[in-house]
Amino acid sequence: MNIFLAADTVAEPTGVWGAIAGGAEYFIGIFNRGGEVFFGLMGGILPTLVVLLTAVNALIRIIGPEKIEKLGEKAAQPGLQWYPVRYMVLPFLAVFFLTNPMAYTMGRFLPERFKPAFYDSAVSYVHPITGLFPHANPGELFVYLGIAAGITQLGLGLGDLALRYLLVGLVVIFIRGIVTEWITARMLARKAAA
Amino acid sequence: MDGLNALLVKIGRGVGGVVGTLYQAGRDTIDTIIRNILPFMAFISFIIGLVLVTGVGDWIAQGIKGLAGNIVGLLIVSVVCAIPVLSPLLGPGAVIAQVVGTLLGVEIGRGNIPPQMALPALFAINPQVGCDFIPVGLALGEAEPETVEVGVPAVLFSRLITGPLSVVIAYVASFGMYS
Repeated sequence: MNIFLAADTVAEPTGVWGAIAGGAEYFIGIFNRGGEVFFGLMGGILPTLVVLLTAVNALIRIIGPEKIEKLGEKAAQPGLQWYPVRYMVLPFLAVFFLTNPMAYTMGRFLPERFKPAFYDSAVSYVHPITGLFPHANPGELFVYLGIAAGITQLGLGLGDLALRYLLVGLVVIFIRGIVTEWITARMLARKAAA
Repeated sequence: MDGLNALLVKIGRGVGGVVGTLYQAGRDTIDTIIRNILPFMAFISFIIGLVLVTGVGDWIAQGIKGLAGNIVGLLIVSVVCAIPVLSPLLGPGAVIAQVVGTLLGVEIGRGNIPPQMALPALFAINPQVGCDFIPVGLALGEAEPETVEVGVPAVLFSRLITGPLSVVIAYVASFGMYS
């Protein structure tokens, strides 16, 4: 792989030419190192990702993503007990089954005043879910994977981090849904008064 | 004989359906890998190579260490990312969050940031998630133009509250992890 590294048997070039040659080695060294990282990613997470994505894609096709539409209609109801459904269960299922960005289409079952809050809730879950279910947002895996790579490098397991990310994410989108719904209501009221 | 034939056709269709589904799932997967995952891996690999080989890494490490190594720094990061004017600019494709995440990962791997800060950091670098996409996301949900008009500022202002809050929640939830 290290195509530009000097052989040990000959003397290193010196002088101006040596400096230029050194610079060339330094230059290519950046890409050698990057290539090693790329190879590590290809050999490390990519095979697992391929199999996992295939399995989950097949599962989603067999179950049929349209099944969650009924839940969308239920979540549209007012009442305190529907808050966790609207801002935890529905965003989770929408992101899991419909993935980013089609998950936001579930908002069409909700009344207008809940739509911004639902979007906020759903879009905030497209990264926490990738720790365990990367199929949901394959284009933006490195928010999690980037940080996870450091944990792996330390020789620690990722299960703890992935699970906590998933669960804390659920709590955060729930709060986010409630706060955004409240702000939306205030702004709608102010607009109606004006 | 007709009954047997019908049964065979039924089994054949069933098996064909399952195999077809699995094959299509595989095709979708490879498509996703080539179009979405590999290009980003290439980009990330270059950045990591650059950070590790050049002195940029040490330079970034100094700045990141002060911010990402403790809860106060992470809160500052989350507030900055949640500022309503900045958040739509930082959002697109989550590219910024992914690059910063990768840089933090490098520093965690080098031991400059304690591993238990990984969880709050994941939330601190991401209060801007989807802020660039609000009108499109609402349109996908078939929202009226009036809802979009109210929804965009509502989400942006909500992030100012829930962004830092998510860091605090994640910080509390990270107790006992990797320690």
